[in-house]
Amino acid sequence: MNCRSEALEVSVEGRQVDEAMLALLHTILLHRSTGKFHYKKEGTYSIGTVGTQDIDCDFIDFSFVRVSSDELDRAIRKAVGEFKDAMGNGTDGMGQISLEFYQKKKSRWPFSDECIPWEVWSIKVNVVNLANEQERQICREKVGEKLGEKVINIVEVINRHEYLPKMPTQSEVDNVFDTSLKDVQPYLYKINFQITDTLGTSVSTTMRRLIKDTLAL
Amino acid sequence: MAAHFDTEYQRLEASYSDSPPGEENLLVHVPDGNKSPWHHIENLDLFFQRVYNLHQKNGFTCMLLGEVFELVQLLFVVGFTVFLANCVDYDILFANKFVNHTDSSKVTLPDAFLPVDVCSTSIRDNVAVMFVLMISGVFWLHRLIKFIYNVCCYWEIRSFYTNALKMSMAELPYFTWQEVQARIVEIQKEHQICIHKKELTELDIYHRILRFKNYMVAMVNKSLLPVRFRPPLLGESVFYTRGLKYNFELIFFWGPGSLFESEWSLKPQYKRGGNRLELADKLASRILWIGIANLLLCPVVLVWQILYAFFSYTEVIKREPGSLGARCWSLYGRCYLRHFNELDHELMSRLSKGYKASSRYMNCFLSSLLTVVAKNVAFFAGSLLAVLIALTIYDEDVLAVEHVLSSITLLGVCITVCRSFIPDKHLVYCPEQLLRVILAHIHYMPDHWQGNAHRYETRDQFSQLFQYKAVFILEELISPLVTPFILIFSLRRKSLEIIDFFRNFTVEVVGVGDTCSFAQMDIRQHGHPAWMSEGKTEASIYQQAEDGKTELSLMHFAITNPQWQPPTETTHFISQLKERVQREATGDRHTLTSLSGSEPRSLIANFLAGPPSLASLHLGRDGSLTNHGPVGVSDGASALRSLSVSSMRGSCSSAHRSAGHASSASRAMAGSSTDARTASSGSSVWEGQLTSLVLSEYASTEMSIHALYIHELHKQQSGGELSRHTWHRQDSDDSSDSVTEEGGSGGGNTNPRNPIPRSHTFPISTPISTPGPIPSSNSGPNPDRGSTPGQEVAPLQSNSQRRYGGNTDSVGPGGRVVRSARVPMGGWAEEGRGGRHPDTVPEGSEDDMPHNIHKVT
Repeated sequence: MNCRSEALEVSVEGRQVDEAMLALLHTILLHRSTGKFHYKKEGTYSIGTVGTQDIDCDFIDFSFVRVSSDELDRAIRKAVGEFKDAMGNGTDGMGQISLEFYQKKKSRWPFSDECIPWEVWSIKVNVVNLANEQERQICREKVGEKLGEKVINIVEVINRHEYLPKMPTQSEVDNVFDTSLKDVQPYLYKINFQITDTLGTSVSTTMRRLIKDTLAL
Repeated sequence: MAAHFDTEYQRLEASYSDSPPGEENLLVHVPDGNKSPWHHIENLDLFFQRVYNLHQKNGFTCMLLGEVFELVQLLFVVGFTVFLANCVDYDILFANKFVNHTDSSKVTLPDAFLPVDVCSTSIRDNVAVMFVLMISGVFWLHRLIKFIYNVCCYWEIRSFYTNALKMSMAELPYFTWQEVQARIVEIQKEHQICIHKKELTELDIYHRILRFKNYMVAMVNKSLLPVRFRPPLLGESVFYTRGLKYNFELIFFWGPGSLFESEWSLKPQYKRGGNRLELADKLASRILWIGIANLLLCPVVLVWQILYAFFSYTEVIKREPGSLGARCWSLYGRCYLRHFNELDHELMSRLSKGYKASSRYMNCFLSSLLTVVAKNVAFFAGSLLAVLIALTIYDEDVLAVEHVLSSITLLGVCITVCRSFIPDKHLVYCPEQLLRVILAHIHYMPDHWQGNAHRYETRDQFSQLFQYKAVFILEELISPLVTPFILIFSLRRKSLEIIDFFRNFTVEVVGVGDTCSFAQMDIRQHGHPAWMSEGKTEASIYQQAEDGKTELSLMHFAITNPQWQPPTETTHFISQLKERVQREATGDRHTLTSLSGSEPRSLIANFLAGPPSLASLHLGRDGSLTNHGPVGVSDGASALRSLSVSSMRGSCSSAHRSAGHASSASRAMAGSSTDARTASSGSSVWEGQLTSLVLSEYASTEMSIHALYIHELHKQQSGGELSRHTWHRQDSDDSSDSVTEEGGSGGGNTNPRNPIPRSHTFPISTPISTPGPIPSSNSGPNPDRGSTPGQEVAPLQSNSQRRYGGNTDSVGPGGRVVRSARVPMGGWAEEGRGGRHPDTVPEGSEDDMPHNIHKVT
């Protein structure tokens, strides 16, 4: 509960799904990434630089800015690809992809490390079916406009002065940032997705809750 | 160059080309690091609950020890029972069989034990025993794991107390919860425990700790839970046991498939009205399954309950057989009487204060038939006992005669039981007055009790809240048998209502999650027009909380948490009410001299006087309170003394004298403030403790006054149509027709409501109205404290300062608030010393005083 949640919703055509998702996820991650930290002896650090890149979409009249890091891009593309596969090539469909920023908290021996989310972005996707080329053309522009609005929304949210994890010391940097990438250092994030009708919680989380509840009695 | 780096996102060609990442060129940052592990806690509900629990259990060690002993006790209960059943040769014990000892004729205890191998085979052969052992083994293991888990969790909370809140475990018992809470609110600014808000409020913490309890209170308030039954012979009765409560919570809140998906959020499908029928079906089938599971487990639970009751109560019964005749607040009563957002310890202290009066009230109704019988039984039993004891004293060999010892014990028990049915000859009861005293503490009662205190119906209904301990134990014992049927037949039928309830009365609060909307204590949403919030409430009948729960809860919360800043509308309500109580209290001192002719509008006078015939209670002009009444009234007096807030302050000390409680109180108050200071400077811990204790006492007294006031006002408003409120509301829609009438009677009320703007003049008007009574009342007992009148005025000012931001200059409180807040402290600490005497506790209250103290300390 102790985390912010933001929701976005878009309606797109089947083939636009991955580009729209990429656009939104990358936009968020652009603002939630920093350059690599270089720690020095005195406990201070300097921040490396991050490049940005304009990406043009093929199926949408839209271009967005992303961090120019191929590794990050690959990771996101992979997640989006999985999401799209899960949606199936079916015509209509609904799904939700969520980008969750979390921090790890080391805990004592009997417990494993906790991952505590502090911000969750959930993007709901409606896939619509279009009859002819003309509609597609209109859709192409419309979705572009919509995405532009969403990007502005995202920036507005991010500009609010709200909780962010504190900048860590060298030993703790892994608890806050994803340091596995070479050229950029986003906050730790997870991408999950759900396809409608399986919106219920998964079996494992139910079980985990059950055990926790019994213990907490 | 560094200026280029103020955004972290750009790649700057210039710096790149100039120098390869040379460190001296880059902007250097200093990490803040996560020095505290307390920022951003994942499950705040659990966290706050644990913080509260640790506080209530007086620290880590106490809790640990308690839990360890509980585990040991469990092992002991099971082990000892099995041992008694299988390993004791009762023939030897009863001397039916002789032991062939050669050297001595004495039978020792070990002689009666069976040898280990015999014992173990007999256990192993007995399937039932093995079954019980296995069940309890599993249960015990579960408890053990839970215990270990808890120790780990609470260790963390302990370090939270010591490191973040800076309270050591040794000091913890000396801090009140309000202080702990204030510190939590403070450290939120630094640590950001909750990431949604910069600042936590007291209400947030309460909401999280009491999330589910608030739901239960609301459900009881709206008569949603099936706890009232009409069994064929017993008439209407309430059945609500721990087992039942556990099942309710399991179904609604945390069990598998419950309505909540986590501690803090209702499942989204339950928030939408669309498929309510379907969800109700689902809930009904779940209840059915849980009911069946209960039915299957019932033998196990039953055996456990019996064993547990046997071991925990037999000793008590042997020690003081009267305890079975004693009463306790029933589980239902605790739910019915609980305010929204009231923590356990607050409820318990309130109910405990009402205990004495309540049991006295119940004793008014001893059946005279039973008394006659009891008297005679006691006589016969007493003569037998006397003879036996006399014989024993003459020659103790009498004890060796078979059954003499047991008959002495039995006769003793019999006499004690009988005696509890014989009323004290020297008591005079006045139920109406007693009920009023009770109301001052329990804050809720159905309308039709007023004026009917002497009737058996009222008594019976009150006994649903305040039941015999024996009945309580009995109910707990049969609970495993009854619970499944209640679930299957009663609760299941209500599934649709339950679904609707959760949908309609759940609000999502930022930073708290889904809470019961009643717990927001919003007059506009849930106020009841008959309870002061007329004109302010927009609630439909379905939304109105019954019995003025919203209004009373709001007052209670505002009084116990003076730092809390309610929304403006609510502030209006509170200050308006406080002002009215204040005004009535001060204004009516003049009319109090002639109590009999109390006009309808002088409410305080009204409830000070009670029914004129009963009131042997005079509040003299000099502020001395004398009561000639015997016990019943003296108790009334002790509560009533604390009633009229401001005017009573002065009279308190003389009341002490007349009541014979702390006879030296007035002298102590007047003279020895220096004593108090030296005493308190000795240990700062105790000073803090004292002040906060005194404050909480003031708060509870203040709350009592407000509760009485609200009830009185309600009574007057609803006038003749009191009877429309039935004690049991089957359905809240019962009262649907009464709303318009309510409006009518409210309008034609003899006690016209002040227009809201009135409260804006509050800071100016009150000093004008108060000076009359206050200096006179204060100067009586405290002649040497020149600044005491400031006490009266200052709180009001500080109040105005706090709530009406700008207009503080009218009375120029500036330095005075601080000074007057400082000065009374010594006096209070002094009083607090007297206040530790249990009977003098509720005396002397100061409206709003807590504000000051909290500001200073």
